[in-house]
Parts: sequence; C-alpha cells; structure tokens
Amino acid sequence: MEGFVAKHVHDYQNGRISRRRLIEILTLAATTAYGGEGAGAAESPGLDAALVNHVSYTCPDFRRAADWYSMVFNLDQIGATARDVALPFGKKGDKPYGVSAGDVPLTHVICRTRPVDAPPGNGSTRRQARAVIDHIAFTVADFDRERAKAQLSTLGVKNVRDGGPFSVYVNDPFGYEVQIAGLGVTAICGAEARAICSDNR
Amino acid sequence: MERFIADLVQGLDSGKIDRREFCKSVALAAAVYGAGDAARAQVQRGFKIIGINHMSYTCPDYAKARNWYASVLNMKSEATRDDGKRANLMFGPEPGKGGSFLVTRNPGSVASGSAGAKPGAEAVIDHVCYTIPNWDEARVRATLKAKGLNVTGRDGSLHVYDPFDYDVQIASAAEENAFRR
Repeated sequence: MEGFVAKHVHDYQNGRISRRRLIEILTLAATTAYGGEGAGAAESPGLDAALVNHVSYTCPDFRRAADWYSMVFNLDQIGATARDVALPFGKKGDKPYGVSAGDVPLTHVICRTRPVDAPPGNGSTRRQARAVIDHIAFTVADFDRERAKAQLSTLGVKNVRDGGPFSVYVNDPFGYEVQIAGLGVTAICGAEARAICSDNR
Repeated sequence: MERFIADLVQGLDSGKIDRREFCKSVALAAAVYGAGDAARAQVQRGFKIIGINHMSYTCPDYAKARNWYASVLNMKSEATRDDGKRANLMFGPEPGKGGSFLVTRNPGSVASGSAGAKPGAEAVIDHVCYTIPNWDEARVRATLKAKGLNVTGRDGSLHVYDPFDYDVQIASAAEENAFRR
C-alpha cells in the first residue's frame, strides 16, 4: 500500500496527475485495500492499449466514403466485400509511426454499410450507446495549415475551417467531422506548450 | 512529367504504391497535364497520414469515462488538460511522436472550430478497436473480468462495453489486421 501511495504522490508532485485524481485514487485504494475485496483491488492492472487497431465507420454508402478517405489521405482500399472495405494507414509491411513493438499492426479505417444496431461481431444485440465519437483527428506529415487548406481546396473539399493554428476541420461526404492536424497537436497543451501546439481540440 | 512518372514507377517497383494507385496517379497526372498544370497532380494525391491524432468522445459524464479508460486500457490522463468538463487520455507512442489520445468530454464541451456532437449524422463510428501487444488470451480475459466487465467476442478479438454502452473492441495483431481480412 505504501508503495502504491508513494507512486501516485510522486506522479502528483511531478504534475502527471491532478490533485483531484490523486484524491480519487487514494480514496479508492484506502476504502478497498482492507475492505475484504483484496488488497490488490486498487492496483488491479489494466491492459496497455498500444494503438488504435481500427475505427469502424458506418455510413449509407461505404464505397463513397472509402473513395473520399482514399483521396484525401492517400489510402489504399483492401479486402473489399459487398458491405465493407479496409483502408490501412500504409503499405503491407510498414510499421506504425513511433511504434517499436513488433506485434502492433497499422491502424486502419473500416468503411462499412450496415444497420447501426448490427450485432457487435458476436451475435448479441448491440446496445444503444449513450456516447458518441463526434469527430476524429488524423495526424498527417509536414502539416501546414494554409498549405493544407489549399490542398483540400484542390481536392474539392468544401467547408474547411480552422481548428486553431495547427489543424483544420472538414466534413466528409456524410457530414462526419474530420480534423487534420500535425504531430505537434498532442494531449499536452498546457500554458507552456501553447506556443507550439494547438489549444483547440 | 517524366520525373513525376519515374518516381511513380520507382514507388511501384519498391512496393510503396500498388498497381491501382499507380494507375490512378498516372491517369490523374495525364488529365491535369492536359489541362496545362502538371504540378497540380502531385498536390492532388492527398495527405500522408501518420495515424490517429485523437478521438473526441462525448458522453454524459466525462470523469466516469476518463476513469474507465484509464483503468481498463491504462490510458494516462493529462492532468493539465482536465478542466472539469473534459480530459485528455494518452496512449501509444509518446505525444508528438505518434501518440494518440482520447478526449472524453461532457455535452457542451466543444473544441473551437468543431461543430461538436450533432444528432442525426449520416455516419457514425460505431466502435473502436485497440491493439494490445504481447497478447495473452487468459491474461487479457482475466484482466477484463477483474474489472467487472462482460466479455464477448472470439479469442484474440474481444468486445466489452464502456460505462456508456459504447462498444470497445480489444484485439491482438494476429486477429485484427487489415492485411489479413
């Protein structure tokens, strides 16, 4: 328990977690460590998500969506069926950017057409989600906002909006919001970093 | 134009582009050249995608979602970006080096420039699949079960629901790979 507390206090003092998060963690630990649930309850490890494997994009016409994403992001379409197609972020044999592990495949988008309540791959009834991924942002190489806007215009993409100095927003053919950003847009955009990355996500 | 096509051929030979893309590029170049502007052909090839920068996840209680993704998928909440309405949860490579993040946000917490969550959209991302390296079926299942989750799916490709019934898939490289469809 002491080691657990020390670790999180260290994280707090180094700014990795907020005061509120520290309190939540320690409260949970303190109330479960000796409560008959097992001393390890608060430390139950999770799984290390290494990368997005794929996002499942469902729309009325997957071919039209796939063609749009292929055009804008220069993606191949592979493994097409009558209802879906995959668009990997690279060629076969490529490794994902920044990943050293050997068993992490390229991220891909699956464009598909199916009922929104289609079973989630296991035959059960899909639950009605109370959450939504309202936009997705893609990192692209050598991002420059003004150049990106010109490039999108050339590609025929309309309604391009600024998303801070380091990204732009567009809508795909089905009105889904897509953000395009550079590597400099990260989860860490504190006051000291605002000069180098967008605060608008 | 010759140089442009030579580069395309080199790309084809080296496997960087496939036959279909090669053909499309040449056809496009020819069309644009015919219009008097060969340089535009290269511009029109689209962006070079590196990865997913982030996903904006709107739900009734961002903190509950934040805690769930931090607990189940070991995502790291960036404390300086937690404003009581949203949080940034990092995973994968380091920020700025290919890392991604999930933004959990309450309704009404909308990024500048974004239209935010709008009902009635024609398209939806109905699930997200995360790769777990060093996959060990028994360990993965036991970990999820220890979190109190109902696990479905098949070996190497499992599904759980997050606190807001959003479908989350967790998979190994062997079972979920675009090139093995």
